[in-house]
Amino acid sequence: MSEELRSDQTEDLTEVLSEARVEGLVDDLVDGRGLHVRDVVVRFGGLVAVDGVSLDVPVGRAIGLIGPNGAGKTTTFNACSGLNRPTSGRVELFGTDVSHASAAARARLGMGRTFQRMELYDRLTVRQNVAMGLEARLVGKRRLLGSIIATAGERREVAEATDRALERCGITRLAENRAGVLPSGQRRLVELARALAGGFELLLLDEPSSGLDPSETAGFAAVLHSVVEEDGCGILLVEHDMSLVRAVCEYTYVLDFGKLIAQGPTSEVLESDLVRAAYLGEEEVA
Amino acid sequence: MSDFLPFVFIGLTSGSVYGLAGTGLVLTYKTSGIFNFSHGTVAALMAYAFYDLNTLHHWPWPVALAVCLLVLCPLVGLLLERIARRLADAPVAMKIVATVGLLVGVQQLIIVRYGAALIQTETFLPTNAYRILGVNVGANQFIVMAIALAGMIGLTIFLRTPTGLRMRAVVDQPDLLALTGSSPVRIRRQAWMIGTVFAGISGILLAPTVGLDATVLTLLVIYALGGAAIGMFTSIPLTYAGGLTVGILCSLATKYVASVSWLSGLPSSLPFIILFAVLVFAPSKWLADFTVDRKAKVVESRHLPRAVKIAGGLALAVLLFRLPDLVSTRLPVYTSGLAYVLIFLSLALLIGTSGQVSLAALAFAAVGAAASARLATDVGLPWLFAVLLGSFIAVPVGALLAIPAIRRSGLYLALATFGFAVLLERLVFGTSLMFGASSAALTAPRPSFASGDNAYFFVVLAFVVASIVLVTLVHRSRLGRLLRAMADSPTALITSGTSVTAIKVIVFCISAFLAGLGGALLSPVTGSASAGTFNAFVSLTLVVILVVATAFTGGSEVLGSILAAAALMVLPSYSGDGAATDYQPVFFGLMAVLVAMSAAGMRAPNWLVGPALRARKRPDRSPLSARVASRPQPEGAA
Repeated sequence: MSEELRSDQTEDLTEVLSEARVEGLVDDLVDGRGLHVRDVVVRFGGLVAVDGVSLDVPVGRAIGLIGPNGAGKTTTFNACSGLNRPTSGRVELFGTDVSHASAAARARLGMGRTFQRMELYDRLTVRQNVAMGLEARLVGKRRLLGSIIATAGERREVAEATDRALERCGITRLAENRAGVLPSGQRRLVELARALAGGFELLLLDEPSSGLDPSETAGFAAVLHSVVEEDGCGILLVEHDMSLVRAVCEYTYVLDFGKLIAQGPTSEVLESDLVRAAYLGEEEVA
Repeated sequence: MSDFLPFVFIGLTSGSVYGLAGTGLVLTYKTSGIFNFSHGTVAALMAYAFYDLNTLHHWPWPVALAVCLLVLCPLVGLLLERIARRLADAPVAMKIVATVGLLVGVQQLIIVRYGAALIQTETFLPTNAYRILGVNVGANQFIVMAIALAGMIGLTIFLRTPTGLRMRAVVDQPDLLALTGSSPVRIRRQAWMIGTVFAGISGILLAPTVGLDATVLTLLVIYALGGAAIGMFTSIPLTYAGGLTVGILCSLATKYVASVSWLSGLPSSLPFIILFAVLVFAPSKWLADFTVDRKAKVVESRHLPRAVKIAGGLALAVLLFRLPDLVSTRLPVYTSGLAYVLIFLSLALLIGTSGQVSLAALAFAAVGAAASARLATDVGLPWLFAVLLGSFIAVPVGALLAIPAIRRSGLYLALATFGFAVLLERLVFGTSLMFGASSAALTAPRPSFASGDNAYFFVVLAFVVASIVLVTLVHRSRLGRLLRAMADSPTALITSGTSVTAIKVIVFCISAFLAGLGGALLSPVTGSASAGTFNAFVSLTLVVILVVATAFTGGSEVLGSILAAAALMVLPSYSGDGAATDYQPVFFGLMAVLVAMSAAGMRAPNWLVGPALRARKRPDRSPLSARVASRPQPEGAA
């Protein structure tokens, strides 16, 4: 990974990004292959947590989703990944309507995710955790026997994907540790590596940088860049760390009280007075 | 109509007690997130204490009652709150194990102190009868109904007072509550004291009707549970109404089935049927789950040096081969112990590896035992086929239990498995499908090639070795990883593309097969298979023994199963006067509480492994974490 990815240089990088790639982005958003969410409403009893949200995440693009605490970001994520069912609205993944599909089925179609409160298999080693990203996808596609034993071909495929994901996230040296004993910064990386090993075309990342120190965050940004640029993956990033959003995301949606209040190229959104004043606070953006 | 009315009044009376017990249970569950399986045992304890003071020591009943409800109950409540507080950070399986341990331990303490025989007691309430709608109703019945109603209304009103509101707030936001100056601990303490007093009243009121019997009174919690299930484990008035419903239904069922012999198990099974039905069929959003699941603390596993392992294995092999000569007439005890190793292995696979708490281990063993005995004797199959086929018959039963496991997890799964075990015992054990209606046991033959004690010991040993190999293979296979992954984070597994349904069905089937095999091999030790061996309550004891034994062996499920079987079967045979048999459940029940409180899952808590090992376990001393600490950032950042 290159020198210029240090956190103090991320600003420059963002400008290059937005100039070079924002053109054509809007067409990509609506027409591109990927995740398309339309008018999704999620109600918990009387509470409307997500109110008519529409957003697009095409492959090969990094999209941000920001907003204050309680804005409905994680609920939107859960509606996308199938952990909760929207009261109304439509979720379309790679051209298939998955509004009523299970979370596992959506993952098998090629959408992976991470969690704000990291969901790791604590008793498994880091390597086993990461391998499970692909293994779980393979198991889901196979019959009963597939959940008991792995074929030789699968084993090779899983081992290669695991090694590569460990390498990319820089946690190869932790491979034989149990995930449960690691500090939270490293656990974030394990979770990311697991999602990468899964070979998903779309990744939903829920506050991946919380618990990371600035240098870890910069490294994280570098990994996300390569995922988008080299693998052509689509990323939807929920994040409180605006420097990471700025460094990674080309386009950003802003949620508040369950509604989208702004969207546009990231730099414009983050500069917008409305967003600054009302939802982010001066310090965080600065 | 007049035929039913007496039964309705009887049902209303007993239902009132269930309702009262249920509300106490729901109150403590809601405020602390700890579901007290031993609620009924506490009720039994108070009923016995009252009997002790009032009948044995001739204290006037108001004094005895006051001592029980105003002194003993609050004290027990305080103790329970302390335990519950220490359980707050434990994984849900350990929360269940802790109160199941209390149930097992305290129930056995009562039996040791007062004997297992039923003691009939007179009611201390006035019994003069009044004629209502043409039915004689005793004053005592009215008093019981009035007390329960008053208790429920009082509690409902109390929960609307400022203190009560704090009690409700403690469920959602204990930290926020603490900020407003109310101590969550004090509020939970009050809730536990009230809950325990309710349990005490129900025990004391119920004892004159059903008699003093620790097991029957402990089951009160299940009757109350039927009611609590109707109240979806949250609403106090609904729980009370549920208790009344259960009481009336049971009473009416008693009238109906009096003439139908094969349904004789139905009335006492009704609460379990209600419980099981609610747990299996109710929509998830109706069943509020107050159990907070925390992950067990994970420590790097300590591996014994290979040389030690090999030497230990060889020593064990030599010992086992010489065992028949060493222990001579005690050998059948060891053979039974080996059969129990299989049952414990099946349980460890569910609870330890997969995180699915099953309280129905012996139900599968019973199916295996009955099926193989019938296949060998009635059908005349060769022994080996009978045993294997009999064990396979347990597999669909295991798949059946996977249905609640698919819909529920944690506490509600544990409750459903216990309900299932009791239902099987009451409704099926006594039919010709299994052990038959007569009290005579089924004949369980040994194989013709190994009819002697020595030879049969080695036959069972061969099965145990094969099963240990099977379990080890499962642990090392993809299935083992999937099972541990499912236990640690089902959400992550689902969002990675695997549905956990198939995995749950597979593990319940394997577990049922192993337990069935254990049962099938156990019966031929004595030559007979009978329902008594597979009592649903003994399944609870097995769970606590397994958890304690596994903690002692540092989290190894195979070693833990072996140790558990030794502790269950072999050790008691060496105590001459039976004291070990008496106190064994007490010891393991209370040890299970301690192990669960250590929040370490099924691993050895620190105080158990000793300071020497503790020092080595500290992550900051390991060379690896030192390296990690010096290079915290990923390579991409440098």
